[in-house]
Amino acid sequence: MSADDASRGNQARRRILSRVAGATARRPKTPHPGSLQTPEPATGPEAAFAARFVASGGEVAAPAPGRPLGEWLTEFVAGPGLGLEAERPVVAVGAEVPPELRPELAVAPPDRADAGICRAWAAVAETGSLVLESTGGRAVQVLPPVLVAWVPVGRVYGRLEDALIDLVADLPAAVGLHSGPSKSADIGRTVVTGVHGPGRCVAILERAGGWDGRGSS
Amino acid sequence: MRVRSNEYATRSREIVRGKPEVREAVTGAALAFDEMRRRGYAEVDADRWRRWAEAVKNHLLTHLDDYLAEAEAKLRDSGAQVHWAADAREAREIVTGIAADASARTVVKGKSMATEEIDLNPALEAAGIEVHETDLGEYVLQLLDEPPSHILGPAIHKSLAQVQRLFADRFGTPVEGHPDDLARAARRVLRKAFLRADMGITGANFVVAETGTVALVENEGNIRLATSLPRVHVVLAGIEKLLPRMSDLAGFLQLTARAGTGQPTGCFVTLVQGPAPRGGDKGPGGRRDDDGPEEVHVVFLDNGRSAVLEHEHAWETLRCVRCGACLNACPVYRQTGGHAYGWVYSGPIGAVLDPGLLGLEEAMPLPFASSLCGACGDACPVRIPIPELLVRWREEAHERGLAPVAERAALSALAGAATRPAIFRMGAKAGARLGASAVAKALPMLREWTRDRAAPRPSARTFRELWRKGIE
Repeated sequence: MSADDASRGNQARRRILSRVAGATARRPKTPHPGSLQTPEPATGPEAAFAARFVASGGEVAAPAPGRPLGEWLTEFVAGPGLGLEAERPVVAVGAEVPPELRPELAVAPPDRADAGICRAWAAVAETGSLVLESTGGRAVQVLPPVLVAWVPVGRVYGRLEDALIDLVADLPAAVGLHSGPSKSADIGRTVVTGVHGPGRCVAILERAGGWDGRGSS
Repeated sequence: MRVRSNEYATRSREIVRGKPEVREAVTGAALAFDEMRRRGYAEVDADRWRRWAEAVKNHLLTHLDDYLAEAEAKLRDSGAQVHWAADAREAREIVTGIAADASARTVVKGKSMATEEIDLNPALEAAGIEVHETDLGEYVLQLLDEPPSHILGPAIHKSLAQVQRLFADRFGTPVEGHPDDLARAARRVLRKAFLRADMGITGANFVVAETGTVALVENEGNIRLATSLPRVHVVLAGIEKLLPRMSDLAGFLQLTARAGTGQPTGCFVTLVQGPAPRGGDKGPGGRRDDDGPEEVHVVFLDNGRSAVLEHEHAWETLRCVRCGACLNACPVYRQTGGHAYGWVYSGPIGAVLDPGLLGLEEAMPLPFASSLCGACGDACPVRIPIPELLVRWREEAHERGLAPVAERAALSALAGAATRPAIFRMGAKAGARLGASAVAKALPMLREWTRDRAAPRPSARTFRELWRKGIE
């Protein structure tokens, strides 16, 4: 940016802010109403998250009890559990996924992977959302046709507001909330999935020792 | 885009009479959206949520200068570059300048009414830049060289058959191809564009002042891609798009989605604080990212908004969150779709926002393009009093001699008669005795209205006669 551009930019800034300040000065100030205080889900966060996520077209899978999670995931992704078309699927894995949660499958760049494996920072029941940080890589979250996300138990918030307030304390450069697969009804009002982002979105609740089958931590 | 609001009467007539497929497609889509909105509202305490959202936005707008300064400071702290554009020309120059500095050749865009407002695409293309609209509806319209006709569903005026023909010509898909096949064809083309794009351009649904967070809501994932893959991300945000705190964003993400499509929230929400911290850089929280844009630019756009903020009544339109709920609820919008309104913001919100942003002369006769049924006000998630504002703009149009001739003549005649009791009595009696069709022919407004409808039968006795005898 040249010095002229910067100077023009400063002038525009001053003009806009001074006009806005003039307008706000002529009107009585009104107070902030405080929190919206949406209710906590009645069924508990994990069950409510699963119900909402599935209602939006997401999928929830349960690791087999007692199996090491990485081993279970390998079988799930390569076998009938996930049901991918590729006989030997290749995956992209987010940098945030710890070794014990990685599948033992061939790895490919996100634009050539059959599935992207991530670990969510949290999930939100109220909106059925996975909260994905940019730190481990964004392409792996958005380019593969299938997204598989670990969701640590105890990290499922009931309310979106609580999740966002906690996020403020340690904000990454970007955050993605994924609440089901990519959808569009722009052509003939028919819902199609997988238009740009993942066409399937699978959440796996992660607990030590596998899934206890009860749906709560 | 060129403002053609003054041509509303001609264009709406052309659409209604010459393009019946538009009314069919728009009515079907808008009623479906409206039904989803009703269901979305019914699941929550919508009245309380709407009052809360109105109060948050009113607070924001009465402290806007402070919050703009706070947002700017936070964005800069996170490494984003902040620009200010007083009008459309400045905004175009800023964005094309950023593209030139970055040597950008290919741009992928998320759906953004603000970029339509400033006519950005032609400016980028004139600079030799390849621009790809990536929202599926916007992509269809780009192929057809048409502007969007609805805030949320830009191509709702297009039937499936029209898109099938377009894609058959362009991509060789079957003439009766399923929307799945058509979407796959678009994905193939656009995926290549995403992977080679230098720059992503988006609007902003919200900008949180507390954290300098740009929030973007969508269903397709194209905005997630446009903000993740290219090395430069440019955000064009109207100055009214701010929210004070991150906790406010939680409510607005949910309410806006429910108002627009009935969803609990959009399938994808992207929250951008700044560029991806790389190498030796330390981002927020001392982090380093493996991918993501190296540069994030946020352009705050005025383009008439500060003038609207100064307006005694119209300032309330700045609460708008661009959900499209008022368009879907409007029986007048549903007849023509958005193109008749002649500018980017159409329907009821366009009829009250455009006079503020463009000036009343430029936006005439949009405030008159309404039956004042009030459905728009009931649907609005931030309780903009659209019907009252329509009346305010009409009053201003009358005062300034801008109202449509027929309306002006009819109201002047009524005013003249109302101040002369004898003439008023005579007129009322004549109306009651002459019957419906004669009255309809005599009054210009009713003449138009009764072209396709039966006029209501007037009472055989005038109100004054009924009053004298005692109304039962």
